[in-house]
Amino acid sequence: MDISRRDFMQIAAALGLVTVSNGFAQTVSGKSPANISLKDLYDFDAKGKLTLLHMCDIHAHIKPLYWREPSTLISAPNLVGTPGFLCGESFAKHYGLEPSSLDAYFDTHMDFETLAKKFGKMGGIAHMKTLIDEIKRERGDENVLFLDSGDTWQGTGVALKTAGEAIVKAQNYLGVDVMVGHWEFTYGKERVQELIGMLDAKFISQNIVGDDPFEDEYEELIFEPYTIEERGDAKIGIIGQSFPFTSTANPKEFTEGWSFGLRLDTLQEYVDELRKEHKVDCVVVLSHDGFSVDQEVARKVHGIDFILSGHTHDPSPKPITIDGTVIVIAGSHGKYIGRLDIDIKDHKVKDYEYKLIPIASNIIPADPEGVKLVDELYAPFDKELNEVLGKTKGTLYKRDTFFSTFDQLINDAIMDEMKCDLSFTPGYRWGTTVLAGDDILMDNVYEMCGITYPNVYTFELKGDRIAQLLEDIADNVFNANPLYQQGGDMSRLGGVTYDITVSAKAGERITALKIGGKAIDLKKTYIVSSWGGNLQNAGENLQEEKTRAVYDVTRDYIRRKKVVDVSNKGNVRLLDYDCGCPVKGSTSC
Amino acid sequence: MQRRSFLRGLGLITAASAVITPTMVMGAEAPAGPNALSIDDAIKAITGGKSVVASPKVHLKAPEIAENGAVVPVTVEIDSPMTDADHVKAIHIFATKNSNVRCADVMLTPMNGKAMFSSRVKLGSSQEVMALVETSTGEFLSASQNVKVTIGGCG
Repeated sequence: MDISRRDFMQIAAALGLVTVSNGFAQTVSGKSPANISLKDLYDFDAKGKLTLLHMCDIHAHIKPLYWREPSTLISAPNLVGTPGFLCGESFAKHYGLEPSSLDAYFDTHMDFETLAKKFGKMGGIAHMKTLIDEIKRERGDENVLFLDSGDTWQGTGVALKTAGEAIVKAQNYLGVDVMVGHWEFTYGKERVQELIGMLDAKFISQNIVGDDPFEDEYEELIFEPYTIEERGDAKIGIIGQSFPFTSTANPKEFTEGWSFGLRLDTLQEYVDELRKEHKVDCVVVLSHDGFSVDQEVARKVHGIDFILSGHTHDPSPKPITIDGTVIVIAGSHGKYIGRLDIDIKDHKVKDYEYKLIPIASNIIPADPEGVKLVDELYAPFDKELNEVLGKTKGTLYKRDTFFSTFDQLINDAIMDEMKCDLSFTPGYRWGTTVLAGDDILMDNVYEMCGITYPNVYTFELKGDRIAQLLEDIADNVFNANPLYQQGGDMSRLGGVTYDITVSAKAGERITALKIGGKAIDLKKTYIVSSWGGNLQNAGENLQEEKTRAVYDVTRDYIRRKKVVDVSNKGNVRLLDYDCGCPVKGSTSC
Repeated sequence: MQRRSFLRGLGLITAASAVITPTMVMGAEAPAGPNALSIDDAIKAITGGKSVVASPKVHLKAPEIAENGAVVPVTVEIDSPMTDADHVKAIHIFATKNSNVRCADVMLTPMNGKAMFSSRVKLGSSQEVMALVETSTGEFLSASQNVKVTIGGCG
C-alpha cells in the first residue's frame, strides 16, 4: 500500500531520518573556494541500488557558459519565500548557503562577477559526461536511469541552425533515457517526430492529445503516456508531462491539431494503472509543468513517489515533500545534474537521498570525446557565431521579474531601428550572461533570442489595449493560484515605465503607466514593436516592410555601437515589496 | 475505434442540442431578447427564482487556461442514479461574461442512463464557466470554474 509508504516518509521526516528532510542538504557549501575539489562534488551518501539522474532546461547549452540567477523573483504574497520564489539572500538563508561559496555562485546572483572570475564557466556536456560516467561507475550502469525534463533542443545558435539535431546528438552522447518537451515543439510537429527518430531516448507525454476531429489521432494520445524501466532490480514507472500551456505560450501553428493542458484526471489514472496493473515499485512523473505548478500537482494527484520537475529554472538544493510526493528540480542551462538515489524494498520506496550537483567546469574535467563532439557540431557555424560584435561595459544578464540588462539591450536595438513608441521583449527565463568588459559574440545574441519565430513585428495598438495587455501578462505571472501561471517573467518593455502592486486584484496592478515619459493616453494609437509572442495579432496596420529577425536587429545595433553601456536601473517601480528577493511572510528581505 | 465513433456521434448530438436550445428552455416566460439577458436573469429564467446550490455532485471539467478561446472544451458530469425517481432533468452551461451568457441547454430523461454532456464553448474573455443542473426532485445544483483566455506570451 502506498499509504503505509507515505506514512513511513512522514514519520521518517518527523524523526529526521530522511537525510534531505532534516535541514542539512548535502552541499559543498562548507568548504572555502580554494579547497573545493572534485571529491566534494562527487561525494554522496549513497542509498539503495537505484539512481535517477536528472537534468532540465539546458536550453541547448552544450558548451559551458556564465549564467547569473535572478536578483528579483516576485510572486503573489501567498507564494513569497516558498521554493520556486526564492532568490539571492532569501535563497541563501533558506538553503543555508555560505557566502562566496561555489553553491552561492551557482545558485544566486550575489557577488556574481567576482565569483565568476574565481570559479569560471558552468555546465557543458563534456563536463556533465565526466560526472555521469563517474556515477555510473560507482553505481553500475544497470542501476542508473537518466531523465530529461525538456527545454533541451532550443536556446543556442547551433540548435537553431541544425533545427535541433546538434542537441539530439548531445543527448545521445550523454545517454539520456527518457524525455518530455516544451520548446522542442517550436520546431513544428513534423520536425519533432523526425528528431525523436534520431533520439536514443524515449519521448513520453500523457498530456498531449489530438484535437482535430478530422484526424485519426482525434482524442488519442500523440506519444506514449508512460514507460516502465527496470533498473536496480526495481520496476520504475515514469509518466511524461510536457509543458501544459505550449499552445498558448508559443505560436499555435507549430502544434496545430494537438491539445495540451495539465490533464490531472488522466495523470491520476496512469498513476493508478502503473501501481495496480503493472505493479511498479516506484512512480515517477517526469515533468515540464514548473516547480510551483508541480507542488499543486502533488496536492491533487495521489500516489506519485517523485516528480522530477522543470520549466521554471529553479535550482533547488533540497527536495520538497508534499503529501508524500517528493519534488526536485535541477536549475537550467546545464548548470546542474540532480542525483537521486532511491532505496526500494518490498516493492516500496523506503528511503532516498538527493544532491543537486553543480557542473563547475574548472573542477570537473572535460571528457575528451565530448569536447570533440562539441567542436564538430559547432565547426560549420564557427565563423558566424564567433564574430565579435562589440563589447559591453556592464554585465549583460537575463532573468529577474521585470527587467534585465540584456533584454534592455534588445529593446534598445529594436527601438533604434523600428522607430516605435514602445517595444516588447518576452520574459523568457533562458538566455545567457556576458561579464562586464567582455566581448559580445554573435553566439551570445542567439543565446538570448535564437527561436524559430524570430520576427520583430511593428504595428499599431490603442493605449487602452496596451494597458489591458500588460494587466493580462501581469496576471499570468502573479496569479495567486499556480495553476493559472504560465511560468515566465513579465514582458520587458522599452520606452515604458510603470508602477506595479503585485498583490492588487487582477486588472488593477499597474499604475503610473508612462510611454515616452508621458502618461499613457488610452485613446491614442501607439506604434508598438514586439517579438516572441502573439501581440501582433492584437494590433493593426502591421508595417510589413520593417519585419526582421530579432537576432539580426540586435546584431546590427551592437555592431553600430561597438561598446554598449546598458544602465542596470530598471523601468519598473515595485510598490508592495521592498526588495527583489523577499522572505516568507514578509514584503522585505 | 469504437470509442472514437461513439464520440463523433456524441459530437453530433452536441451540435444539435446547441441549435435547438433557445426554444427548449425559455418557454412562456422568455423575454423578447433572450440573448441580452444578464447572467442573473438568465439563471432566474430557468430556476424561476429558486435557490441554486453549489454541489460536489456536479463535476465541471474545463481547462484552467484555454488553448483557444473560440473552442473551449467543457464537460459536465453529475453523480446521479438516473432513475425515474431521481435523475437529472437538465444541464445548462453558462459563459458568465459573454455578451450572450447562455451556451447550451440539454434536456435529459432516465433513458439517457448517464448524466453527462460535453461540448465546446466560445469565451470572449477570461471568466467563470458555470454548469447549472436541474434534478427531478426540483433542486438546482451548480459548479463553476474560472477559465483564463489570454493572448499568450511565454516563459
